[in-house]
Amino acid sequence: MTNSYDALVDLLVHRFDVDPAKITPEATFEDLDIDSLFMVELLLVVQAELGVEIPDEAATPRDTIAKAAELIGAQLAASAS
Amino acid sequence: MLAGLGSALPDRVVTNEELTALTDSSDEWIRTRTGIRQRHFAVEGTATSDLAVAAGQCALKSSGQGGADAVLVATTTPDRPCPATAPLVASRLGLSGAAAFDVGAVCTGFIYALAAAAGLIAARTADRVLVIGADTFSSILNPRDRTTFAVFGDGAGAALLRAGEPDEPGALNTFDLGSDGEGRDLITVRAGGSQQRLAATVSDPDDQYFTMAGREVFRHAVQRMERSVRAALETAGWQHTDVDRLVCHQANQRILDRLADLLGIDPRRVVSNIALVGNTAAASIPLALHQAHGDGSLRAGHRVLLTAFGGGLTWGSVTLTWPRLAALDGSTSGPSPEN
Repeated sequence: MTNSYDALVDLLVHRFDVDPAKITPEATFEDLDIDSLFMVELLLVVQAELGVEIPDEAATPRDTIAKAAELIGAQLAASAS
Repeated sequence: MLAGLGSALPDRVVTNEELTALTDSSDEWIRTRTGIRQRHFAVEGTATSDLAVAAGQCALKSSGQGGADAVLVATTTPDRPCPATAPLVASRLGLSGAAAFDVGAVCTGFIYALAAAAGLIAARTADRVLVIGADTFSSILNPRDRTTFAVFGDGAGAALLRAGEPDEPGALNTFDLGSDGEGRDLITVRAGGSQQRLAATVSDPDDQYFTMAGREVFRHAVQRMERSVRAALETAGWQHTDVDRLVCHQANQRILDRLADLLGIDPRRVVSNIALVGNTAAASIPLALHQAHGDGSLRAGHRVLLTAFGGGLTWGSVTLTWPRLAALDGSTSGPSPEN
């Protein structure tokens, strides 16, 4: 598992009260019983905590946790270079 | 400085269940996305000025004796496109001759009007200014749009500001105000102004109604208020842990929760009355203040931070130490369940 995956899981569990048992790399956000505002809130917290800005349209509830973590990792790498 | 408070809600309470009959939504859908359980709607024939006068009377009464030499009404739903609503409100309050004008900054209107009032007092143009936030959004909502119809409610709130010393409790010293007109389409009524005249054919009948781009507005609201709060804190020399009460524009409970989370402010210090009144636009902050003062959750000596975000886009924040105010009565317009 990558650092960005662990960081994302940490935010989901501690800031959004998601049940850790439901989180796997293959799970989609939809599998976590979320609604339409959830992704907006998640991206706000990701930006505040991890310092990466991801546009609203880049992530959808149908994405897997692993895919979102990959997106965050790529943004982190881009901002570090 | 703050010397009086008042508020008014129209009599008619509309529950989520009642709305469900009109729109494609459910009590659960509304509650989980907004935290709103009910709102008040003005019946036809009740204008913004009626609510503003009731709230203004209440604020004048609570400030003790004396009138006001200026009346500012923050509103997006004036009685008429012309003239402004404030002169009529001033006259009906027995303040004929007072300076009176409307302030248009949508849901940030009350903060902008407070800043304008503080400026009038600082410039010695006025000694006592009545600041009213009043809106009847039910008059511009699209009944077919559940994302707005379920969110907004009608109401008015008022504050009386008087001249004072900068270090007195109640002094409004550190404003942070801002805007971004590039975001004008996110919260708007497209038709009825000079750009798309109502006399001409309106290209889309829905253009006559208020619209809001929900998700984008959510993101902007949290980000803009977070930055504005941080700016106001810095000017005041406060840490986020110094804030005893955060009073945000009551836009959506999820916005209030997320804002407190990002600012590191204990959610128990966040004032909220949105469950009972919905988003009342320019009225929301003074309504929340009046309720919190009345139920004792806002007390003399509390360090209070007000922040708002609205159409324009606009945003603003101000800090104050809560003053000792006279015991306040409740809403002067009909039953209000939160009192």
